[in-house]
Amino acid sequence: MSPKPRQAIGEYWRGLESAAVNSDGIAALASAAPHLPRRRLLQLMAASLALGGLGGCGPEPERRNLLPYVEVPPGIVPGQPQLFATAMTEGGYGTGLLVRHQMGRPVKIEGNPDHPASRGAASAIHQASILTMYDPLRAQSIVSAGQLATWEAFVAAAQTWRGNSGEGLRLLTGPITSPTLIAQIAALTTTLPAARWHQWEPYDRDNERAATAVAFGRPLDLVLDFAPADVVFAVESDALSSRPGHLAYARDFAARRRIADAQGQMSRVYAIESTPTLLGAKADHRLALAPAEIERALRVLAGSVAAGPSEWIQIDTPHAAWLKAAAADLLAARGRSLIVLGPEQPRELHLIGHAINAALGNFGATVRPIELVAPEAPGIAELAAEMHAGKVETLMMLGVNPVYAAPADFDFAAALKRVPRSVALSLYRDESAVAATWHLPAAHEYEAWSDTRGFDGTATIMQPQVRPLYGGHSAHQLLAALLGTTEPHEDALVRAQWQRTGGVDFEAFWRDTLRAGVVENSAAATVAATPKIELGGLSAPLSVAPASVTLLFRPEEPIGAGLDTDNPWLLELPRPFTRLTWDNAAILAPVTANRLRVKDEDVVTIEVDKRKIDAPVFVLPGQTAECITLPLGFGRSAGGLAVGVGFDAYRLRTSQALFAETASSVTRTGRTERLATVQHHDRMAGRDLIRSGTAAQYARDPDFLGHTEATGSLYPAVAYPGEAWAMSIDLASCIGCQACVVACQAENNGPIVGKEQVLAGREMHWLRIDRYFTGATDTPTIAFQPVPCMHCEEAPCEVVCPVEATVHDHQGLNAMVYNRCVGTRFCSNNCPYKVRRFNFYAYAEQQDRPAPSWNPDVTVRDRGVMEKCTYCVQRVRAAQIAADREDRRVRDGEIVTACQQSCPTQAIVFGDRNDKTSAVAQRKASPLDYVLLADLNTRPRTSYQAILRNPNPAIPEDAT
Amino acid sequence: MQPGVTFMSLSTRIGDTVLRPQAPLWWWVGFGVSLLLLAVLVVSCTYLFVNGIGVWGVDIPVAWGLAIAEYVWWIALASGGTIVSALFYLTGSPWRSAISRIAESMMLSAVASAGIMPILHLGRPGFFYWLFPYPNVMGVWPQFRSPLLWDFVCIICYILMSGMFYYTGLVPDLATMRDRAPTRVKQIVYGILALGWQGSARQWRNYKITYLIMAAIMAPMVVSVHSVVGLDFAGGVTPGWHSTQFPPYFFFGAILSGLALVIMLTIPLRHAYSLQMVITGYHLNALGKVMLTGSLMLGFAYFWEVFGPYYGSDVAERTMLGGRLTGTYASVYWATVALNITAPQLLWWPAIRRSEWALFLISSGVIIGMWCERFVIVVTSLSRDHVPSEWGSYVPTIWDWGVLVGSIGLFLVIFFVILRLVPIVPLAELRELIAERAPP
Repeated sequence: MSPKPRQAIGEYWRGLESAAVNSDGIAALASAAPHLPRRRLLQLMAASLALGGLGGCGPEPERRNLLPYVEVPPGIVPGQPQLFATAMTEGGYGTGLLVRHQMGRPVKIEGNPDHPASRGAASAIHQASILTMYDPLRAQSIVSAGQLATWEAFVAAAQTWRGNSGEGLRLLTGPITSPTLIAQIAALTTTLPAARWHQWEPYDRDNERAATAVAFGRPLDLVLDFAPADVVFAVESDALSSRPGHLAYARDFAARRRIADAQGQMSRVYAIESTPTLLGAKADHRLALAPAEIERALRVLAGSVAAGPSEWIQIDTPHAAWLKAAAADLLAARGRSLIVLGPEQPRELHLIGHAINAALGNFGATVRPIELVAPEAPGIAELAAEMHAGKVETLMMLGVNPVYAAPADFDFAAALKRVPRSVALSLYRDESAVAATWHLPAAHEYEAWSDTRGFDGTATIMQPQVRPLYGGHSAHQLLAALLGTTEPHEDALVRAQWQRTGGVDFEAFWRDTLRAGVVENSAAATVAATPKIELGGLSAPLSVAPASVTLLFRPEEPIGAGLDTDNPWLLELPRPFTRLTWDNAAILAPVTANRLRVKDEDVVTIEVDKRKIDAPVFVLPGQTAECITLPLGFGRSAGGLAVGVGFDAYRLRTSQALFAETASSVTRTGRTERLATVQHHDRMAGRDLIRSGTAAQYARDPDFLGHTEATGSLYPAVAYPGEAWAMSIDLASCIGCQACVVACQAENNGPIVGKEQVLAGREMHWLRIDRYFTGATDTPTIAFQPVPCMHCEEAPCEVVCPVEATVHDHQGLNAMVYNRCVGTRFCSNNCPYKVRRFNFYAYAEQQDRPAPSWNPDVTVRDRGVMEKCTYCVQRVRAAQIAADREDRRVRDGEIVTACQQSCPTQAIVFGDRNDKTSAVAQRKASPLDYVLLADLNTRPRTSYQAILRNPNPAIPEDAT
Repeated sequence: MQPGVTFMSLSTRIGDTVLRPQAPLWWWVGFGVSLLLLAVLVVSCTYLFVNGIGVWGVDIPVAWGLAIAEYVWWIALASGGTIVSALFYLTGSPWRSAISRIAESMMLSAVASAGIMPILHLGRPGFFYWLFPYPNVMGVWPQFRSPLLWDFVCIICYILMSGMFYYTGLVPDLATMRDRAPTRVKQIVYGILALGWQGSARQWRNYKITYLIMAAIMAPMVVSVHSVVGLDFAGGVTPGWHSTQFPPYFFFGAILSGLALVIMLTIPLRHAYSLQMVITGYHLNALGKVMLTGSLMLGFAYFWEVFGPYYGSDVAERTMLGGRLTGTYASVYWATVALNITAPQLLWWPAIRRSEWALFLISSGVIIGMWCERFVIVVTSLSRDHVPSEWGSYVPTIWDWGVLVGSIGLFLVIFFVILRLVPIVPLAELRELIAERAPP
């Protein structure tokens, strides 16, 4: 692959030369993306805007008037936010969310506390979705064969495609849980019996489902329950990062890891994995194993807990003692244990996993089978074969991008050329949209009516938050058009669907359901089937091929495998382990890097069966030796901001090896490519920034960590007689999911700066999650530490500011007065925690972002001023004003900071330290409470709870 | 001063050079080059003001870069001039007179280059005056606890005071210029500037007392100015800055670098003006000795800067020190030691002290070494702060260097202009010396 262009904000265009390559002129324009420096680009944009103004002298295509409210609509109070419930889907599964509106425009996403998949939390992807909705780079016009077209033209054309019975008509979607859409597809295939629906997701969970089909006789979804699980055995599990329901799982998981909440019954977690996962990083015992080793280990475990043939115990593995101890732990926790495997594991391993869960009596206890939430449909393999055979006349691609992400051996782009009519419905003019004969801009999920079901089957009716900003249409409308409805409105479609189940008083049901964001009692019931698993028939374990490098295709947590990479916040979001922003990188273990004689940023050529890609290397402690992780979702050639960022690992990925592949060769190119990581040093360098111990130590002496009390001062202490706001962050709970980072950015109008500026050390996140390694380089212990402003009572930043731009308020908030700041930057130099961020350029102004998307409660900062975490002072003040009006004190829990609200594990607690009954005061009273760099006597208001681990005493600390 | 120099020869050789309508060729060449460098400053500042501080290499954690290093550097150079002219005036050192005008002119030029740096480095330079405690509608005072405010006040006082000191010293010479001026315009201009100086005994008496008082104010002031610059750093909790030795440490650096620049300017000027009779080997020898003393004092400070963290228990100080001695910028640190401490040890040999070439080279080394020292103090400290996750680095951009080069241009332009306006040795003081040596 050719060297990637440096990505900066605004570098969206590839240059008009490339337009010639593509017969589709508009496609080429939209996917254009040259190596213009940002400033040059801004100049060009200014010039083209001016020219555009001239163009505006002609008749406008659609004239809209802006009128002020004569009478304000009921419910809108200027300055008062309104919340509307809806949901967002990932891989088809919905998570209930609340969208916060200010004066009628959506500005922020929160989790819906009533929804089981959210329980109030929202992931980084959820938080960022609001910016995707506003993204001006989204597709904005219907294109047919390179010409602008209208929706009416499409509807008219679509009528002619049906034929008599839909011969040659194919529908390709992602997994679908929407009852309305499922009903529409069913209606379509009934009306047009020859039409076919195919379902495909690039990063599928088919292996687990296929294994349940073997175990239960039919495919089922598995719902996990971490709350009763005393022992968790995770095999590269994404249960805390991207498995449907991960926010809920993370919450239950963390509750069992907080000694105070677990009431002494901390869970114990084992993890075996090839590449670090969020769950693995929290494990008490973690083994970094290659895929073949994982298979052996799991068989040994199955043999040891009498789930598999007893001779499996004898399988040769260097970790026999470790596995034996884990097996003993699992056996001692029958019905209170949990084996969970990631979607990458082969079907056989999932079957072994199911067998172990069955042998331990976990089904019905910690693992709950339910009927499939997303119904099955033929996959993309059959479709591609038909397309190559020329049997497909019309292909509808709804919300999928197969030209980019389909397995390389299908050669989907070539197959698509054999299809006379193809329609892509997508948010961006992506690779598939460019290749299709019709491209319809999709309505964002916040712009259309729909419905969805969550990981446990709970249904949500999704209501639009705004009219489509860029004229998009939903899949419902498209299918309705195909079915012959010329004026489809998805509102009516969704209503009609729910009228069947809505009960007697439908209007009341509709109103209440929309308000709550959850359809009552819609969760799927547990299937009372017992698994019948015969493991004896499984083939012999894979032999380990010596001296071969295994490639692991993985999503780039926490931003997924490609659907959300166009989002600016997600592109610039540091990944939990590598802490890389923007580009992806080939992730290597230190020993592998030494063997290949490469270091960070060296570009290697990775070859698999004559297909090659060039990728920069990132060396990650904790990665398994001889395993290279290739994050998916980058190297886009069309779409939005992600174009040109990173390399495209999909090009090596075939249907035969979707998750792990043996590399033919990995060679150095001698070239380097800069990677924008935000953390250059991985060790604590002798500081006790992260304190940790074991549950056993804590049980013996809760004070075992000791206290570092702030020493005295020559000056009298300032009294805070009223409220004293403070924060406590529990490091045992923090799983490093980065949701808080995006939440903070969304709430506080944090700009993005672009890769070049991150490389220059100027990222603008107010809250960062430091990641430290301790122990050996190959088998490190990984810890996360969210670092917001400490709001020191003796703040070093305040005394050095010559103009008093940063000062203390009477409640202990360390306030930043933007319009007083002259930009000496001494405050940042003097901040021992380095939480301050400086507007070296006018980042907010330079970001291509519509004005209504900014949070009106927070100042957008100008060039040359310092900024930092404010403890969400706007939320503090809003609660205080509300309390003042009711003549009362602010109640505990009334103020929720943005980071706290989004945190799935409830690691962050905020409140009044002076109120001894408040959650934060109680946390701070814990013997595990400590502050960073206490010896500097800064007296931070933000404190941390030490990490407790619960290791198995039978496993020595250095055992592998 | 060598015998044979008389009142008259002094006045003709030095005073008339200034009054000649046509400047010598070396002046035009030097002034032209300086103007080119000044143009670099204008371009760099324009680009900076239009685009913002982001054009420099500063980042988080290294939020201060070359501008602050150069601010300290220029202030130290300026202080050197004051030390020669004021401090050694008080000590009555006889070698001081011949070079005091060079030193003071250098001080005035350097202080201009220093003064622009803190403003250039602001994120919003248009609001620099908010540092000034003036009554305003915002109802906000500056933060009096901030070392930056002390610094701002000190610099303003220093600039005003050194300007007045310089002018006071000039008055009798301006009268000489007035008296010898060939054209009416020059007579009027110098006449106004000479404030009606008659050379009467009463005027001399008042003048002497005034000058003595001003020198007595300037001498401690220059110590305090540079000490306060040191407090800019010592006031922070940043490892590598948080040290009580910074005020004297910075003052030692000022002696060394200031003397070095005086030497660097004196050597070519005594040839350009044929001043070998006035500024003799005796002067160079004395300057060399003072510079050696400065180097030894600075070496003492360097020793403590390393020994303190090593002997103390602060892990942050220690890791910072390790990074400074062996990290990314280690070469800059060792260049500092070599140029400021090692090379000046050659000055123990009288032959070296009397060799113009050797002195010039050692002085140039010290000037570069002192720049390196400021860079090390500012950058290495910030790049290894308390929390390792935020360790970072700083690479100056072309616009950082543009400001450095341009500030040298500003210094030289002012210096060359001064050369054309005033006598480069203080005529009155030297006449005094001649008179003392050969009583009539």
